Amino acid sequence: MERVFTPLDCLLPAGNLKFCLLILNQPSNKGHFHCLWSKAALRACVDGGANHLYHITEGSQESFLPDYISGDFDSIQPEVKEYYKAKGCELIETMDQDFTDFTKCLQILQKKIEEKSLQIDIIVTLGGLGGRFDQIMASVETLFHATNITPLPVIVIQECSLICLLQPGKHELRVDTGLEGTWCGLIPVGNPCDSVTTTGLKWNLTNQVLKFGTLVSTSNTYDNSGIVTIETDKPLLWTMAIKT
Amino acid sequence: MERVFTPLDCLLPAAALRACVDGGANHLYHITEGSQESFLPDYISGDFDSIQPEVKEYYKAKGCELIETMDQDFTDFTKCLQILQKKIEEKSLQIDIIVTLGGLGGRFDQIMASVETLFHATNITPLPVIVIQECSLICLLQPGKHELRVDTGLEGTWCGLIPVGNPCDSVTTTGLKWNLTNQVLKFGTLVSTSNTYDNSGIVTIETDKPLLWTMAIKT
Repeated sequence: MERVFTPLDCLLPAGNLKFCLLILNQPSNKGHFHCLWSKAALRACVDGGANHLYHITEGSQESFLPDYISGDFDSIQPEVKEYYKAKGCELIETMDQDFTDFTKCLQILQKKIEEKSLQIDIIVTLGGLGGRFDQIMASVETLFHATNITPLPVIVIQECSLICLLQPGKHELRVDTGLEGTWCGLIPVGNPCDSVTTTGLKWNLTNQVLKFGTLVSTSNTYDNSGIVTIETDKPLLWTMAIKT
Repeated sequence: MERVFTPLDCLLPAAALRACVDGGANHLYHITEGSQESFLPDYISGDFDSIQPEVKEYYKAKGCELIETMDQDFTDFTKCLQILQKKIEEKSLQIDIIVTLGGLGGRFDQIMASVETLFHATNITPLPVIVIQECSLICLLQPGKHELRVDTGLEGTWCGLIPVGNPCDSVTTTGLKWNLTNQVLKFGTLVSTSNTYDNSGIVTIETDKPLLWTMAIKT
């Protein structure tokens, strides 16, 4: 079964995809933030993500209230927590130490999407690709767990990078929004892929092995077709540049 | 064979050889503003698509070796490592470790390319290679037993074990707050992040497959 989607649609003011927004504990690009916030059907902060929301909306925080804030609350600043609590935002403490705050927030989000019967196409996460290296890897790990949490695709965006985990099968990515930067890549992050075939890239693959220590596709780019197809036998991380 | 080393030891003494990878020369030039000539690299290598022209001219005029590496199958970082290993051998230098500054921030594909270079490094040099940026360090542990001394005083609180590239079927540790015993580490199953230390000052890690160690540096 082929999945077709436009990764950067969520950043288009006139984009079609309906999405939910999760804000993680990393500084974010103001332009991305405002576009994503205005179009999101549901908005949540993961623990310290609330600090960033509070600061990036300085002067008009009450116009940017999240639907909920979840986490073990070891990162959120006390005054930020009090502010959102006083404004009526739902605060959900998730103490399970076997999963990251991000993973647990996804579980809560999926539940709310079902409870409210929302029509959602994609989950967009802002932050998670910078700072502590272990936390960057934890963001990738959450994408692996996401397949068991939600049927929706989950993308992670920070600064000029986007990542998305492609499940085994065929995928068609539309990369003609005009917001795509030059580079892209295919990263066999958790496991080797024995057979990857692509079209639409400058350096395409044909039944290629992708494996750390053998071949990892980085600094790739596009041909002019505006469409990339990727067929993979194992989970494979797609990454691409966002114009800043 | 057990390997014993102190990851953050390098933040204490001086480097025997210093090189820049392409645009790394831009950062060197700016971070040493006002006294660039006291901080001249032994060589600068890469395909030179990132280095600023005036920076390239400056170091060239000061007599730094500029080595153009056009092979597009390998990253500038990987190729620089190859050159470095050759120079270490040519000069018969006694070296314990290769320290890389940068490579863990910015473009996600380039962060992953840094990790890929660590995989290739095993075929390029017998020396351990570590990568440091801001508050993070990474190092690829080969199959076997490793002892890491983490008592320099420069260690931050967090650490982790990341099965990048392949699952590990059996990992055993000591010295961590959340130790592993013959554990599977695998994306989608278990990845050790936000771990920390007990008070022993030593971490041992035994792994059956290559495993990425990551740790915090105090800032």
